[in-house]
This record gives sequence, C-alpha cells and structure tokens, in this order.
Amino acid sequence: MIRPAFHELRFWLLATALLLVVAGLVLPRVKLTRDAYDTMAFVDITSSMNTRDVSLDGQPASRLDLTKDRLKRFVAGLPCQSKFGLGLFTARRVFVLFEPVEVCENFSSIDAAISGLDWRMAWEGDSFITGGVHNAIPVAEGLDSDLLFFTDGHEAPPLPWTGMPDFEGEPGKVPGLLVGVGGNALVPLKKYDDAGREIGDLGADDVLQENRSGQPPPDASSRPGWHPKWAPFGDMRINNNEHMTSLKEDHLKALASQTGLVYVRLNGAGALLRAFEAVARPRSVVVATDIRPYPAALALLLLVILYGFLPLRERVAGRSAPSRTELKGAHP
Amino acid sequence: MNLAVSHPFVLLLLPLAVLPLLATAQDTEDYPSLHAAKSDPLSVAIDLALRLMGAIAIAALVLGLAGLHRLGQSIERLGEGANIVLLFDRSASMNDTFAGQAPTQSGEESKSAAARRFLKQFVTSREHDRFGIAAFSTSPMYVMPLSDHKEATLGAIDAIEQPGLALTNVGKGLAMALSMHDADILSTQGTDGGIASRAIVLVSDGAAVINRKVQQKLEAAFLKRPVNLYWIFLRTENSRGIFDKPGPDDTDTPFAMPERHLHLFFENLKIPYTAFEVENPAAVGEAVAAIDKLERRPMRYEERIPQKDLSGVAYAVAGLSLLLLVIAKLAEVKVSRLASRGVWGSVLPCF
Repeated sequence: MIRPAFHELRFWLLATALLLVVAGLVLPRVKLTRDAYDTMAFVDITSSMNTRDVSLDGQPASRLDLTKDRLKRFVAGLPCQSKFGLGLFTARRVFVLFEPVEVCENFSSIDAAISGLDWRMAWEGDSFITGGVHNAIPVAEGLDSDLLFFTDGHEAPPLPWTGMPDFEGEPGKVPGLLVGVGGNALVPLKKYDDAGREIGDLGADDVLQENRSGQPPPDASSRPGWHPKWAPFGDMRINNNEHMTSLKEDHLKALASQTGLVYVRLNGAGALLRAFEAVARPRSVVVATDIRPYPAALALLLLVILYGFLPLRERVAGRSAPSRTELKGAHP
Repeated sequence: MNLAVSHPFVLLLLPLAVLPLLATAQDTEDYPSLHAAKSDPLSVAIDLALRLMGAIAIAALVLGLAGLHRLGQSIERLGEGANIVLLFDRSASMNDTFAGQAPTQSGEESKSAAARRFLKQFVTSREHDRFGIAAFSTSPMYVMPLSDHKEATLGAIDAIEQPGLALTNVGKGLAMALSMHDADILSTQGTDGGIASRAIVLVSDGAAVINRKVQQKLEAAFLKRPVNLYWIFLRTENSRGIFDKPGPDDTDTPFAMPERHLHLFFENLKIPYTAFEVENPAAVGEAVAAIDKLERRPMRYEERIPQKDLSGVAYAVAGLSLLLLVIAKLAEVKVSRLASRGVWGSVLPCF
C-alpha cells in the first residue's frame, strides 16, 4: 500500500528538509585553509613623532597617537592565528618589546602594549631612520616575520651630503611596509625640558642643520669662511629648516626602494591592512569551518516554500476556484 | 545563561516562524460541509501541535543560522598564586655570558638566554599567576600589562634575548613596575579583594646609582602598597656582587659599589625582599624555584569557560520537529476520491 503522503509535494518538502538538517548534524566539520600573517611592527618614537600635524577622529593628534590608533585597528583586523610582535625605533636601531604572539587570544595584551608606547621610552635623541630600517629588517627576518615600520622620515641629524648609507642586506628578502606618518607642511619641532614637559618650539640653532661628520661636500670650498683645516664646511650659519618637520615622503620612497619594502602613507587602518596583505607572505593555517549553515539554510527555504509559498499559491488559485474549506484535524 | 548570536541580522528572518500558524503542512481536502463533522478537541489539539512544530522548526533553523551560542564566562575560583611584574634589564651586557664574553655557537649561553629559559618555565608552571612585563635600560619601557595571557607573556620573555641597549636605569624601571601594579589594582578592584600577593621580580646583571630624588619617590611608592621584591642578580665573573663587603682599600659609596648599595637600599625599604646572586645558568633555575616556593599565597583567579556553540542544539531541535511533522504526514489518509488520481494528484489542483 502506498501512503497517500508520498503523492504529495508537501511531504517531499518536509522530508527533504528533515534530511538536510540531519545531514548537517551528521556531516563532519570541513577543514579549510586560510591565510594568516606574521608581523613585526616597529614604531618610531623619536620626538619628531610628537608633532601634532595629523588628525585623529577630527581632532589634531600627534603622529605617534595616529600610529597607535591605526596599529591597534590593524591588529584587530588581522585574521586569527596571525602573529604580531612590537618594537621601538630610536637612535639608530630597533628594540623588540615582545616577539610575535597570536593576535586573537592575546589581543588585550597587544592592545595595551600599543597604548603604552611613549616617546619617553626613547633611549637617545638621535633619529637615524635609514639605520633603523636597515637594522629592523634582519631582526624581522630572525623572527620569521614581515615588517611594518612606522616613521615620519625625519632624520636627525640630517643625512650627510653623500645620502643614505648602503644597505648591506638583500633587498626584498623581508617584505613589508614602510609607513609614512605626518603632514605635508613644515611645522616646528617641539622642545622638552629635562622632565619631559613640552616647553615650546625648537629654534634653528637648537638642532644640527647639516651633518658635518665625514667628508665635506665638494662645493664646500666656495662657502664663506671656508678653511681646509679649521672650517672644512665653511663657517656660515646655515638654516636647512631641520628644526621644522614634515613627512619626508621622497626620502622614505628612496629608502623603501633601497631595501625592497613598499612605501605607503598612513591613512585608514583598512587601507593599511590591504596594503600589507598585498606584500606580506601569507602562511596557510587550517581552520575548521562550520558548513552546517548551508544545509540548514536550504531546509529553511524549503519550509518557507511549504508554509509560505504553497498556501499563497493555493489561496490565489482558490480565489477563482469554488471555495474550498479546510478540514481541520490531521486525520479523522 | 548568557545567550548571544553571531549574526544578529539573520534574526530578521525569525517572523517566518509565524507562517506555520497561518498555514498547515497537512493536506487539505475539499469536503462538502464542516457541519458534517463534530467539533473534536483532540483534532484541534493535534492541529495546533503540528503547526507549533512547524513554527519551532523554522525558529530553530533561524537561530542556528544566526549562530546561537552561550557567551564565554569566567568563574571566580580560589587558588595559589600571585600577581607578578617581571622587570628586565635590557642592557647590552645581558647578551654576554656569565664569563662576560659574547656567547659562542657551542659554548655557554648568555645571561639573557639563561634567564629567558628559566623564566619561561616559571611562567608556564605557574597556573593561576598573572604576569606583567616591564623593561628598562636608559629609560623604562612598558611592555605588557598584568594579564593571564600566558602566550603574550612568553612572547615578551622571548624578546629579552634580542640585543639590548646601553645603560641600566634601575630606578625608573622599578617605578614603571610599581605603576603597573597600581594600574592593575585599579582595574581589578573588587575582584582581587587585596588578598593576592603582588611581586616584582627584577632580573639584572648590574646596578646603578638611583638618585636621591628617585629613591625617595620609590620609598614612598613601596610604602603605599605591599609588594614583594625579588632581585635575581646575574653576576658576571670578576665583577662586584651584591653581598660584597667593602675591602680596606675600597670606598664604600654608591658610585664605587652600586650593586651593594642598591641591595642595601632594597633592604631598607621594609618590604619583603629577597636577593639571589647567581653566577651560572643553573643557579638562575634555583633562584626561580625559590621564588616559586615563596610566592604561594591564596588568590582569587578567574577561570574562563569558553563560549559554547549552541547552533548544533538548535539544528537538533529543528530536526526533531521536522521528524514529528514527517511522521504526521505519513499518518495521513485520504477521505475523498481525489486520492485515486495518482501521484501528485492531490497537489496538482493547486497549480
């Protein structure tokens, strides 16, 4: 005997929905691979990073504050199982605060560590950015990580006339971003007292306006007061505006091409993450993915057809046909 | 029970659960007049139950799709442990061996490597402790706040083997470690109850003169709250130790013997203070084991119960409802002649 239900679309809709839900419950979890990234970020904390020439949430903010904000969002955007480590840059080298750790599980610690970045952690006043980037690359390489280096490109003391020192590593071996932070217009650097309090702006005589270590430039002999022994750089006061600062994009682009990094200017955190994902080496990680929603969604669709679509059709059809009366009760 | 969903917008589909209450999945049949049938409470109840089943199935599916889960919770428990700030000297000399030489490939490990090895073991073995990390060289550096994230702590301990910087500014480092405890006391107010022991473990291979002003500030800061201080002094060969008594020819001043005077300063702080002078990697392990024994006071700690996915339960409920509906469907019988029309016979008139 054939059950009458077998003749009916409704039965098959119900039975298929049941089958789908059961299948979803029984199916094993599918393992998928996903990209994760190992990152070592270094933040320039020299005093030029205190310059308030960028804006954060519509308010003027220091370059360091903007960097911290974007870096936190960057970490929040990294896929789980990515690793993130943090370091500082001052003087001529980088300093690792912590080696890369998993980002999702340790997010609050990483977040607090980024918040804790402070220019007072700096151990020297100099800012040999080229040297710092050259130093950061092997450190990141030793930690099997890709590099993020946040700086405004303001070298102090200025580079010698011969330009950047040579890069001894292999350009492009460690991929990463050189991230420029700062405004385009020249603004004065801030002056601080011994206790670290801001006490106005630096004047032209407060900083080295020219790098006078090494050989004098070839045109030095034409400078006023030049003397081969006593004044090889001339004795005129010069003002190269080194007490003023802006984002030195040209220098950072040159530095990026020298070291095989990619230069980007810091804007939104999302743009930073995309730029990083474009250059970084992804590491495949296996994640268990829940595929149950697919059969469940299909089952839901069938139920909606059963309870929504079919009765609606019936009602529309019933309007023209002679009135049908529903017999209440499942079975007499 | 804290229930939550991962994708709240899916819940917009929840009103679909009303559909089965408006329409039935059971076959409807033309029948001349309902007056022919007596009102039957059982039939009405079954009809209602079947409609409810449909509603439950749809609602459960929507909840499952939305990712229903129970939120992760933390339960307060009582155990043994402490809140410990590890304060690392990151001066360049830490990267040398105890003999004061650069470590070779096969030879002795550096002081920082030995410290790193034993402290990592210590952190891993201390189940309920909360750790924070600070470092100092010329200036104090805030590395990580007190937390129970073991992996982050281990990552920060790993970093001490990275090349260090020039100087040893102990005073500012201690002030940083104390301020981290202060911040933690504020942030854990109410949960900690003040019973947990708080400690600073200073790991350094040298000492420096703390200037008078900073000394007074530190004294005041240590008086404010009970903090146990441990100093693991990694003594390099042929250098001064912290327990050295001045010889007849030595001048007994902080500048001449900074290690001894820093030790005296700590002793005079009137806080529980223990100093370990270690001269080889194994002794680092002994010092760490001693601290492990001393830092065993009851503390409240939070045990985390991870978030639990309940979408499986939702799907199971949906499946059960559907099973009942299918059974009810199978129990259907035809009362009219339409049944003889063959396969799809009863449905076709609808199309």
